[in-house]
Amino acid sequence: MKNIVTVAALVALVAALGAVPWLGSAPIVQFGINALLIATLAQGWNIIGGYTGYASFGNSVFYGLGTYGTAIAMANYHLPFGVGLVAGALLGVACALLFGLPILRLRGPYFAIATLGLSAVMGALVSNLDFAGRNIGLILPLFRGDRLFYELALGLLVLATLTVFWVSKSRFGAGLVAIRENEDAAAVMGINTTLYKVLALTLAGFFSALAGGIHAYWITFIDPSSAFDSTLNVKMVIMAVFGGPGTVFGPVIGAFLLSGISELLASNVSTVASLFYGLVIVLAVVFMPKGLIDMGGGVRRLGWKYFIQNIRQNRL
Amino acid sequence: MNAVTPPIFEARGLSKHFRGLTALSEISFTLGQGEILGLIGPNGAGKTTLVSLISGTLLPTEGELLFEGRRIETLPCFRRAHLGIGRTFQVMKPFPGLSVLENVTVGALFGRDGGERNRGRARERARQWLDFTGLGARVEQRADALGGPDRKRLELAKALAMQPKLLLLDEVMAGLNATEVDEVVALIKKIRDEGVSILVIEHVMKAIRDLSDRLLVLHHGEMIAEGRPTEVLDDPRVIEAYLGKRRK
Repeated sequence: MKNIVTVAALVALVAALGAVPWLGSAPIVQFGINALLIATLAQGWNIIGGYTGYASFGNSVFYGLGTYGTAIAMANYHLPFGVGLVAGALLGVACALLFGLPILRLRGPYFAIATLGLSAVMGALVSNLDFAGRNIGLILPLFRGDRLFYELALGLLVLATLTVFWVSKSRFGAGLVAIRENEDAAAVMGINTTLYKVLALTLAGFFSALAGGIHAYWITFIDPSSAFDSTLNVKMVIMAVFGGPGTVFGPVIGAFLLSGISELLASNVSTVASLFYGLVIVLAVVFMPKGLIDMGGGVRRLGWKYFIQNIRQNRL
Repeated sequence: MNAVTPPIFEARGLSKHFRGLTALSEISFTLGQGEILGLIGPNGAGKTTLVSLISGTLLPTEGELLFEGRRIETLPCFRRAHLGIGRTFQVMKPFPGLSVLENVTVGALFGRDGGERNRGRARERARQWLDFTGLGARVEQRADALGGPDRKRLELAKALAMQPKLLLLDEVMAGLNATEVDEVVALIKKIRDEGVSILVIEHVMKAIRDLSDRLLVLHHGEMIAEGRPTEVLDDPRVIEAYLGKRRK
């Protein structure tokens, strides 16, 4: 019974979100597209960073490859958008498979550093490729259809979230969590850790690349610095961690809230916006380092002592 | 124990070098079906290294490992787990952020033959092993909130949930008091009665004598004695290497 109510509420929420482009103004729809896409990126990061415990700073590479795959297919070969998306997704998945194998052998900070290099390398590479438009970038055919892009982005986010839900309930997901908690023990207990890690990164790559493809056609112009932007990766990590890594809805809630806060600050207190944004992040890290979802449970259990406990645990 | 049944496990000329250091050299032994083989030796003798070579955490420099007649020395950890080799760690490796039940469920979900595919059924199986090891009342607790003896039990329950045919126990009794040691000894005998073959590393002499059908003694990476516990423990080389001061 409780399950039915939850499912009904979620369906209603998705329907309400789906109605936004028909009711809201153009700026709201544009804000919505950005928020939905970054939520998808945060959700993708959640699979490798949240569930598997591998803090990737290379997910923006998959996003960038999705962007470029779609753009190259559409601008150079005049293929339809759908084909472009598939091309972008294939590039993202191929990259995750290719780099996942060597990079996922590294653990902890070493993994993070290796992934950090990835996006710089890929940006430099693309800047030197003629068919990718070198430094100048690529222009996609113009298509004005914010409603379509909004619904596509919403659909992708729903798909990503359903995937994460499946991960959270499946044997596969139990394996990922075991790897996060203790990789040596996981291997000895019969988990094919290499395969599981690579699959997790590939899933993340798939969703990130699709988000990149949608963004490319929507924005119609891409260049290396915007496609392989490592600050985008920092954003998705912050949002996922803010909301609750390793939970089904945490990253989505985190992405929506932080996108909203950042938008409000930017429009009302323009110049110092990033300062306030930084303040929000710092406060979040101090008072709820395990994310909003954990805070929800913690506050119900311990009241305001939850925050004190967090501060103590982190020796601040 | 029984000479007619073929051994479940055999090591042939097993050596492990860490650069210049020889941790194990030319170890050969067999482990019979349903046998409890005790492995003793002073600190640094290479006991844990041997367990790691069998479970696949380390790869041997030389030698062969046979499990049910099949060569396994090049197989990765998880494949050996699927074949039916389970181990505990001396330095315990729980999944700290997960509940006790979830910890053991991982063993049931993977383990021998790839484990139980269904998470619900795996959880039920895990519950049974928790009752078996006396952790039934602690299922919802987080693993990192457990005390010492319970952590040992959890380590054991995780390995058992894999339903191994060969169980490698690396000092599961260290740090337990006399009553707890007796409990664990009874538990290990119960596990053997279910048909599991067991290799057990232990420093608690009383426990190892009560448990083992046969004893193997390592010293500086070499096997210096093998045989029935009473004989081995009277062997002058063993006394010199390991028990000299205690027997005084």
